[in-house]
Amino acid sequence: MAREGAGCGLTQGPKRVILPVVEHGFPLRALVVGAGIAGMQAALEIANAGYGVVLVERLPSIGGRMAQLSETFPTLDCAQCILTPRTVEVGHHPHIELLTYAEVEAIVPEGTGFRALIRRHPAYVNWDLCTGCGYCQEKCPTRVDAEFERKLGKRKAIYTLSPQAVPNKPVIDQEHCTFFQRGRCRACERFCPTGAIDYAQEAQLVEVEVGAVVLATGYELYDLSRMPEYGGGRIADVIDGLAFERLLSASGPTSGKVLRPSDGTVPREVVFIQCAGSREPERHLSYCSKICCMYAAKQAMLYRHRVHEGQAYVFYIDIRAAGKRYDEFTQRAMEDEHVVYLRGKVSRLVREDGKVIVLGADTLSGRQVEIAADMVVVAPALVPRPETRRLAGMLGLPTDEHGWLLPLEPNLHPVETIRPGVFLAGTVVGPMDIPETVAHASGAAAMVLSLFSRLTRAAEERDG
Amino acid sequence: MARIGVFICHCGLNIAGTVDVGRVVEAIRGYPGVVFATDYRYMCSDPGQALIQRAIAEHELDGVVVAACSPAMHESTFRQAAAAAGLNPYRVEIANIREQVSWPHQGEPQRATEKAIETIASLVEKVRYDEALEPLTFPVTRRALVIGGGVAGLTAALEIARGGYPVLLVERAERLGGHVAQLSHLYPTLEGSEAHLAPLVEAVTSHPLIQVLTGAEVVGWEGQVGHFTVTISGLPSPVDVGAVILATGFELYAQQHLPEYGGGRYPDVVDGLQFEAMLKAGEIRRPSDGRPVREVVWVQCAGSRDPTLHRAYCSKICCMYVAKQAALYRRLVPEGQAYVFYIDVRAQGRGYEEFVRQVMEEYGVVYLRGKVSRLVERNGALEVWGVDTLSGQAVRLKADLVVLALAAVPAAGSEALARLMRVATDESGFFAEAHPKLRPVESFTAGVYLAGAAQFPRDIAESVAQAAGAAAKVLQLFARKEIVAEPTVATVDEELCAACGRCIEVCPYDARAMHPWKALATVNAALCQSCGACAVACPNKATTVKNLSPEQVLAMVEAML
Ligand SMILES: Cc1cc2nc3c(=O)[nH]c(=O)nc-3n(C[C@H](O)[C@H](O)[C@H](O)COP(=O)(O)OP(=O)(O)OC[C@H]3O[C@@H](n4cnc5c(N)ncnc54)[C@H](O)[C@@H]3O)c2cc1C
Ligand SMILES: Cc1cc2nc3c(=O)[nH]c(=O)nc-3n(C[C@H](O)[C@H](O)[C@H](O)COP(=O)(O)OP(=O)(O)OC[C@H]3O[C@@H](n4cnc5c(N)ncnc54)[C@H](O)[C@@H]3O)c2cc1C
Ligand code: SF4
Ligand code: SF4
Ligand code: SF4
Repeated sequence: MAREGAGCGLTQGPKRVILPVVEHGFPLRALVVGAGIAGMQAALEIANAGYGVVLVERLPSIGGRMAQLSETFPTLDCAQCILTPRTVEVGHHPHIELLTYAEVEAIVPEGTGFRALIRRHPAYVNWDLCTGCGYCQEKCPTRVDAEFERKLGKRKAIYTLSPQAVPNKPVIDQEHCTFFQRGRCRACERFCPTGAIDYAQEAQLVEVEVGAVVLATGYELYDLSRMPEYGGGRIADVIDGLAFERLLSASGPTSGKVLRPSDGTVPREVVFIQCAGSREPERHLSYCSKICCMYAAKQAMLYRHRVHEGQAYVFYIDIRAAGKRYDEFTQRAMEDEHVVYLRGKVSRLVREDGKVIVLGADTLSGRQVEIAADMVVVAPALVPRPETRRLAGMLGLPTDEHGWLLPLEPNLHPVETIRPGVFLAGTVVGPMDIPETVAHASGAAAMVLSLFSRLTRAAEERDG
Repeated sequence: MARIGVFICHCGLNIAGTVDVGRVVEAIRGYPGVVFATDYRYMCSDPGQALIQRAIAEHELDGVVVAACSPAMHESTFRQAAAAAGLNPYRVEIANIREQVSWPHQGEPQRATEKAIETIASLVEKVRYDEALEPLTFPVTRRALVIGGGVAGLTAALEIARGGYPVLLVERAERLGGHVAQLSHLYPTLEGSEAHLAPLVEAVTSHPLIQVLTGAEVVGWEGQVGHFTVTISGLPSPVDVGAVILATGFELYAQQHLPEYGGGRYPDVVDGLQFEAMLKAGEIRRPSDGRPVREVVWVQCAGSRDPTLHRAYCSKICCMYVAKQAALYRRLVPEGQAYVFYIDVRAQGRGYEEFVRQVMEEYGVVYLRGKVSRLVERNGALEVWGVDTLSGQAVRLKADLVVLALAAVPAAGSEALARLMRVATDESGFFAEAHPKLRPVESFTAGVYLAGAAQFPRDIAESVAQAAGAAAKVLQLFARKEIVAEPTVATVDEELCAACGRCIEVCPYDARAMHPWKALATVNAALCQSCGACAVACPNKATTVKNLSPEQVLAMVEAML
């Protein structure tokens, strides 16, 4: 369906594919950047109304952070289970052109819309031939730390993010592949039943005209290495919230067992630290990350479900549980799961005799506390992704001092931007939980739909 | 003879960890009518679906059973895949061997394996009798009704109208704007509220496609998604609309429910909205005697977070508006003192945390962590009795004025409206969303969407985003000229029907009615939810649900035994 063309002169580079323009002489098609739950929601709303969507995702498969979560507050339903129907729907939608393992290289305004250039990274696998059988991954001899597992698990040099990945097609990580590094191996090529491996594959540039753009590039966690007070990432049994989600996840590196990264034993005492890097204008970030109170409560609860005799402690400043059934949820953590909430800040973590000593203050009793924990889970601040700034730059969009994208006006225009036709969806504007993200993304889609609908109806009238 | 294919999913270890999938394949291969059976790691994945499609072609299958997770997950996935391979999608059934077999029977592989075989056999029987059906279609009335004219309703109405569709906006009060019209300034920027609201109201009232009805309410209701007929007070005749947005907002819990805080008896104990009115007037005076106010105490969580006496939930907006009000008070009365009693300060949003910090540090508002136990009046002076949980000490403050940050509760009449429209509410009376995470703007009733504080208390930014989200649902619905619905609904055998009307009595969805002139009961296929109540009630076996006939059910049950 795509035609090859000479390109629009945005940049020099590899061969280009131009996606055809649809209907009425103007592009009734939106570009959605980022395929987390926000980008998927926006894409589905637009596509289900019959308009086209080009959905660009940097990673090999879609789902974003939600795909990494175990169970979700406050109902504790399994993230993967509620997510999979959505990823599958996106993957098969006749109106969604899914471009994964791809990034936006340039966007320029053109006519009533925009022209964008998208770079597809070489997967070194011909996805048209690949059936997703997984033999290559089985046979690849090279094991590396899996980013998706927050480095608590391994993957191969040829990999998919998870067995439920959409699309379920692998990519070769050139940096670690024995063949690319040392010129021999080719195991995946030998075992691939369809001959899909293609070490000579090149990046591809896709050029597309769109009538609107939705940015949904999500968030990142503030890195442990920036917080020396919590071990700076050098203590094995001090991990961040996303890593703990992977330990809790049935499809994670421990198949859902809570085990210490250092020695694989079951931790009996686990300390959760909220506001790590948040609400600390002097040393770190000034803002509250909004969701960590809730996920810390959830994680403490899930830990207790896995390790019945275990004890969980949570250090907090305020418990921020504002949402339907949220306060009740944290109440349950305290009452039913006997999670001990300590109001105060942790000052230091030190390693001692295979334990992590947590030194802090309890501001309610006014005393210093010391807990010898087996494991510590830090809830780091949510921060914008660095690449989002580049995208913002291309479109001339303002960010706040932290790098979150700014909506047109915070109260009455939360999804619009200063640039007509460009909208924001989900955590790209700041921390949000899933329900807020989904509603926000639907809101962004509404702006696209009302724009496209206006154009369509005008054309209908013009054409009789 | 049937040619049925059975596809058994491992779901990673979710199913295969408990169920002996190999044994299930062997057992089901020999079952009458089954011409093909196989298993795969993830049937829902692309290669899994391709496997089904290939088998349909190669083995000329005329029916398919996929044994996997709950049909709520992937029934449509597999039906679409089969349809693409040329098989009628209604001859595809899901045997739920995860939620109903492998999960509840963890640690009992023997029992789980047997139960999986029985479940699949039963679904094979179902497919054997399944009719090849075509989906039903209904026309859509492309006009929306928005109930409630606060910021949520206004935003939703405007976005739908901007998409080119007519909107009817019904507001109970005499003017538009809802609670925001009562606010002085907005947090965290402290910009004037009116300056934000006025352009929105203006855009709505001047839009040619929006008809605004103030002082009006919805009093009559029938129909279904795509075609509701609504009676509105003040309108001579009912109106037809295709979709509805519920944006009836919230109201404050009555002071009368809080005897510990005077139960409304003390004139100088006011609620947050009354204080907004004072700020708007630019003068803070005691209601009792009109004297200026020097010491003001805010009591947060008044009626919230109190499962034993009041509302169990947190009202979400009060922490922030209290900080705002205290700051505005200090700005207006620099010599005055402001105290806030709180449990947790919930400041979650862009610039919110920073704002509260500024209120404490720069505006000098004193925050006391603790619950106020009582308000008492002694010699005409108000006293606030509480505990500071940080110092552990009892506190007694004299106050000229006390502001209660009362719980936000559903707008009066929303329970009745919910009953009229048959929309579900949650345990607190707010409208219930279809899924707490992934369908936050949809109600359980098709064609009825939720916006703003009517679903749960939230501030303006969140209300507006959600309202736009609800508008997206309507725009999506209107983009299509027809609605496609499941054909697996109740049907009536005209020969057998005695027109006794039993089905009409039992149908919980009002889908059954008497034929206007024939002695015959009818089915409104758009309303029927396939619950089967009428089929059970029918004494003449005239009513059956498509693809769930009595013979079918019998065969399914026998296969399980
Ligand atoms: C430890 C933890 C636990 C949580 N638990 C819960 C919970 O229980 N319940 C709940 O409601 N919420 C929870 N959350 C919050 C939840 O993760 C977010 O609300 C949600 O994932 C936000 O989705 P998003 O689409 O906005 O962002 P993301 O999920 O971050 O998605 C953004 C997507 O964009 C892609 N992308 C980024 N940059 C580019 C680019 N330049 N080009 C192309 N693509 C790009 C990314 O790869 C990613 O796929 C939790 C968060 C954490 C950290
Ligand atoms: C004291 C106080 C201060 C606040 N300050 C701020 C602030 O500074 N910043 C901020 O972001 N938020 C603030 N808020 C929150 C803000 O008021 C809400 O976010 C906002 O009002 C929600 O809008 P809504 O449209 O959902 O509901 P509402 O504003 O409640 O509007 C609902 C409308 O529906 C109408 N209605 C109800 N039932 C029916 C019916 N059956 N038929 C027809 N019409 C009906 C009502 O008359 C009303 O006009 C404050 C709230 C309070 C109480
Ligand atoms: S060639 Fe690279 S990706 Fe393929 S098997 Fe060898 S190391 Fe793995
Ligand atoms: S949500 Fe809770 S844990 Fe996270 S920064 Fe805010 S107050 Fe701290
Ligand atoms: S928002 Fe703050 S004041 Fe309101 S109920 Fe929640 S915690 Fe209490």
